[in-house]
Amino acid sequence: MKNPRFAGVACVLGLICCNACNTPPEPPEAARASALEQDLWRAGGSLFTPREYEGFKAGLKSAGERIGAEEAKFGWFRDYTPVQAELKKLVADGEALLRRINDNKAAKARTFALSAETLAARIESLYRITQYFNENDDVRKNVSQAEIKLSEARMLVAKEKYELASATAGEGGLFLDRAEEAAVRLLERYLDSGQLAKWRRWAGAAVEESLAKSTVSIVVNKVERKMTVYKKGEAKATFDIGLGKYGLSDKLYAGDEATPEGRYKIVAKFPASEFYKAMLIDYPNEDDKRAFAEAKNKGLIPGHAGIGGAIEIHGGGKDSLTKGCVGLENKDMDDVYAWAEVGTSVTIVGATGIENTILAEILMFKKNAN
Amino acid sequence: MKNLTKTVVLVLAIAVVLTGCKQPTQLINDVKAAIETVTTAGADKYAPEELKAVNDDLTKALDEIAAQDKKFFKKFGPAKEMLVALQTKVADLQAALPAKIEAAKNVAIQLQGEAQAALTETAELLKKAPKGKGTAKDLEALQADLTGAETMYTEIQAALDANDYIGAQDKANAVKAKVAAIADQINAAIAKVKR
Repeated sequence: MKNPRFAGVACVLGLICCNACNTPPEPPEAARASALEQDLWRAGGSLFTPREYEGFKAGLKSAGERIGAEEAKFGWFRDYTPVQAELKKLVADGEALLRRINDNKAAKARTFALSAETLAARIESLYRITQYFNENDDVRKNVSQAEIKLSEARMLVAKEKYELASATAGEGGLFLDRAEEAAVRLLERYLDSGQLAKWRRWAGAAVEESLAKSTVSIVVNKVERKMTVYKKGEAKATFDIGLGKYGLSDKLYAGDEATPEGRYKIVAKFPASEFYKAMLIDYPNEDDKRAFAEAKNKGLIPGHAGIGGAIEIHGGGKDSLTKGCVGLENKDMDDVYAWAEVGTSVTIVGATGIENTILAEILMFKKNAN
Repeated sequence: MKNLTKTVVLVLAIAVVLTGCKQPTQLINDVKAAIETVTTAGADKYAPEELKAVNDDLTKALDEIAAQDKKFFKKFGPAKEMLVALQTKVADLQAALPAKIEAAKNVAIQLQGEAQAALTETAELLKKAPKGKGTAKDLEALQADLTGAETMYTEIQAALDANDYIGAQDKANAVKAKVAAIADQINAAIAKVKR
């Protein structure tokens, strides 16, 4: 030993070095907790569970400080047991939080898929029912807006922006609520049991008259968009029909583009008209005149408005918008024109029942809204 | 003098070993803070790919640190190099972000213009469409659909005004898709008349 002093110093420093790196090892949970913090961060912990994520980070920091405090001690005096227990709990909590975040995201994706499916079904239902009535501006406008919102929400889901997608889909749902409310407003009177009973009575009387007098009777069902021709009480044929822009409303005055409801008769036949062939009915009848006078007294119609007239069954096609008349395809008009005569009864009703009609869906909208 | 030199070399060697045993905690925290900053500045929206790459690099560096941590002789040098390189990458991303935001804004404005053009063209198409037999009812309904799309168009500008350029792009694309569907239906209605 040339220099015992140097050897002694080297020995002590060597011991320090060994102690620094080879003393009680840092708890393995520390690395796991640190990795977990990254996993939580990447999983979106700061977005989905910010309070819990911050709590985890604070716990990790505290554990790190305690490990640091132990590391500052001379190797033989280090004791990681208390901080190890703390880290074990932190890891358990962190893993639970990670599961919760992932479950939360999966649940959000499932919830969105369900709500998107529901919205798409509502959109389809509303588009379908608007085929049955023409006064659908409010309904269609809102459905169109809802469809745009749903499309936007789907784009957001593709980017895993579940929260924003759900909120956007929710906005779409509000548009559909408005569309359904508009449809209910439009058809509410069709759900009234008293009104339905009256229409059923009219339709029944028309069939009975056809049977009793062995004549032809025509019954028009506005909501179903059908015309049935009865002969001797039996349904001879049923045709699809078209109505006016406000065809589902009961006609009150000239220019309202509504189709009257009531019991009428054919008063004239025109073999060549602007709309192929036509048959004029005796609108307004006494009931119509009474309703017109009442509405005018109540100020429900413009002061200068007349009661109107010239309501016909004519050709020109079921898909064209009439001004209140009942439109038929020309080939169907040929049949009806041939079977009907001046004096043939024409009964126009809103509906005869709710089942198997769009009214069932309207009723459901009403129930949902309530 | 010779002994003193040996002592200094030994102390330095031990210092290097001791330093090598320490995790680069400060560097990790600095990189993470830089990533948080760039994320808050909009990298998650306007540079998602680059942000993902940065996060992936951070994961790799942290994995390397964790791997070294398990060893008896710890060597954090490569992890430090990764983190230093990552710092540069994040700084580059931060510097490039304004241009990316501007680009997203330009795309949104372009899509808004396309949505507006589609609305105008479709409104013209609707005006010119023959409202005759078989189409009047359909065209009235399509007019209502188009009115709905026109109303939603205003949301694009609202998103642009709120500096939500990706949102504005989504809204413009959704409006464009709906208007294209309406135009298809108008053309189908016109074809029905011509048949």
